[in-house]
Amino acid sequence: MIEAQDVSVHIGTKRIVHGVDLDARPGELVVIVGPNGSGKTTLLKALCGELAYQGRIMLNGRDLARLKPVEAAGLRAVLPQATSLSFPFTVHEIVKMGLTGGRSGVAAQEAQHLPERALARVDLEGFAGRFYQELSGGEQQRVQLARVLCQVWMPVLDGQARYLFLDEPVSSLDIRHQLIIMDIARDFARNGGGVVAILHDLNLAAMYADRIHVMHRGRLDTAGAPQDVLSDSMIERVFGCRLRVGAVPAGNAPFVLPQSAV
Amino acid sequence: MADQSIAGPSGMNRLARGGEDGDRAARARLAIVLLAVMLGAAMLFSLTSGASDASAWAVLRDWVSGAAADNSATDMRTRVIIQDIRLPRVVMGVLVGASLAVSGAVMQGLFRNPLADPGLIGVSAGASLGAVLIIVLGGTMLVPFTQVLGTFSLPIAAFFGGLVTTMVLYKVATRQGRTSVATMLLAGIALAALAGAITGILIFVADDRQLRDLTFWQLGSLAGATWLKIGAVAPIMVVAMAATPFLARGLNALALGEATATHLGIPIQQLKYVAIVSVAAAVGSSVAVSGGIGFVGIVVPHLLRLAMGPDNRYLLPASALLGASLLLLADAVARTIVAPAELPIGIVTAVAGAPFFLWILLRKRGVIDL
Repeated sequence: MIEAQDVSVHIGTKRIVHGVDLDARPGELVVIVGPNGSGKTTLLKALCGELAYQGRIMLNGRDLARLKPVEAAGLRAVLPQATSLSFPFTVHEIVKMGLTGGRSGVAAQEAQHLPERALARVDLEGFAGRFYQELSGGEQQRVQLARVLCQVWMPVLDGQARYLFLDEPVSSLDIRHQLIIMDIARDFARNGGGVVAILHDLNLAAMYADRIHVMHRGRLDTAGAPQDVLSDSMIERVFGCRLRVGAVPAGNAPFVLPQSAV
Repeated sequence: MADQSIAGPSGMNRLARGGEDGDRAARARLAIVLLAVMLGAAMLFSLTSGASDASAWAVLRDWVSGAAADNSATDMRTRVIIQDIRLPRVVMGVLVGASLAVSGAVMQGLFRNPLADPGLIGVSAGASLGAVLIIVLGGTMLVPFTQVLGTFSLPIAAFFGGLVTTMVLYKVATRQGRTSVATMLLAGIALAALAGAITGILIFVADDRQLRDLTFWQLGSLAGATWLKIGAVAPIMVVAMAATPFLARGLNALALGEATATHLGIPIQQLKYVAIVSVAAAVGSSVAVSGGIGFVGIVVPHLLRLAMGPDNRYLLPASALLGASLLLLADAVARTIVAPAELPIGIVTAVAGAPFFLWILLRKRGVIDL
């Protein structure tokens, strides 16, 4: 489980994240939402050990600050918003880099074929021989997800749950691939892993999240189940939009229509 | 599709494709075998060609048959020419060529840019300054240093010259984990100019004998190769190059950026440290024995990336092999083109390398983010 207590992050002299508490349990898909510049990405970077922070972050009961890169790599994989590449690697070579730490969780023989399987999961079968730099933004994002999946292929390894950190994983995807990618994230959680994802699409967040954390001006505004968090008042307070949150008749999953703005 | 940001379709088509599965490992392994054969041929060619008619084959026969010096058929003069003049030169060529090419490949991986080269960004200039300091002041101001280190003082001074320059460059060019290439190139120019100016002051105070030695640094040559010099630098170069295979996976991951490399489990600070020290050691010792030989570090890795892809696990050993072969070839040209006189090898590599460098710039304008 990921437990963050009173986490603050400074970039330069500016405090971007103020005393945030967040937890993500194995089996759970946690979504962070919030307006642009609310500190979502900065918080995620602190959670995956990329930025220095004050406060305490524990990963499966171990202090993140004391984990070596290779130990942390065995416990979590991170999908950044965008990845530029400095040399002409093929898609296969990029995805295979996910196996660098050697903790995918499958046997060595099987690991050889993992890049192909991961590419198939993100709907990029047959792309292995292409050059990464030739792909569209959405395809590149899915290649990176395939690499991330290779790193923690088994959601649970040696009795330890593992985690996916996804920073806007569907930001440049068409609707079909948005659903495919979110299904992958949900399956990872259903199989015992944990997922922390930043999403801008509140409807996707409502559909897939077990819990939503709302960031506002560097602080945690609200946290809880989608039906509790996504309210008219929260949308107005945090996003500055006066509109009505609806609910699909069949269930209680809320939806947020821009057309409902009043 | 007319203008893709990276190299464009025509540029990509010229690159090695790995076939359907995108795995270029088999191709890279084959390339390494071919390059090893090529290096063997280049060494044999260098050993057998030269101004003198001494027969390397006779000496080689002696080595193979294990004949002792006193009962061998070859005369003393031939043996001296082959064993003490040509052979050390070949060995030096191999060591320097491999060091420069591998250093280039490692720096390009570290700076995440195909244009980084120890010669271009001032590392060689820093190493030269270290060497020139010892040549000019070794007998006076720096006596305590030279007395302690003996024959090693020159390579060690060159090493520290290269190390300090590389570290300053990295510090100046890197902000919040992102290395700016424009800053790096400009800082390299400034550092090279500074090192050049101090070298100029030293030339000003140097005496005639020192001046002759100094001229050597500016152009580069393998002519001064002796077993003694090899003994002084070979251990440094070999240790530096032996470290690089351990960097290969890390440098591959670094192509995705520092943060992603860390997330993949690469201890990035350690990687940078080992890479910088290895490059400084290899370049410093190369400069110490052969002066400033440019463009090997940029041309060799670039050609290899076109042929077999950028995977450093294959690129680094292949760079060592091709760098060594090309430097032996350049040395053969330097020795024979104006025979019996000899052209400094730095001129040969610059004449061939500079246009090549310009060609890379023209071809890959989209890739290089200046």
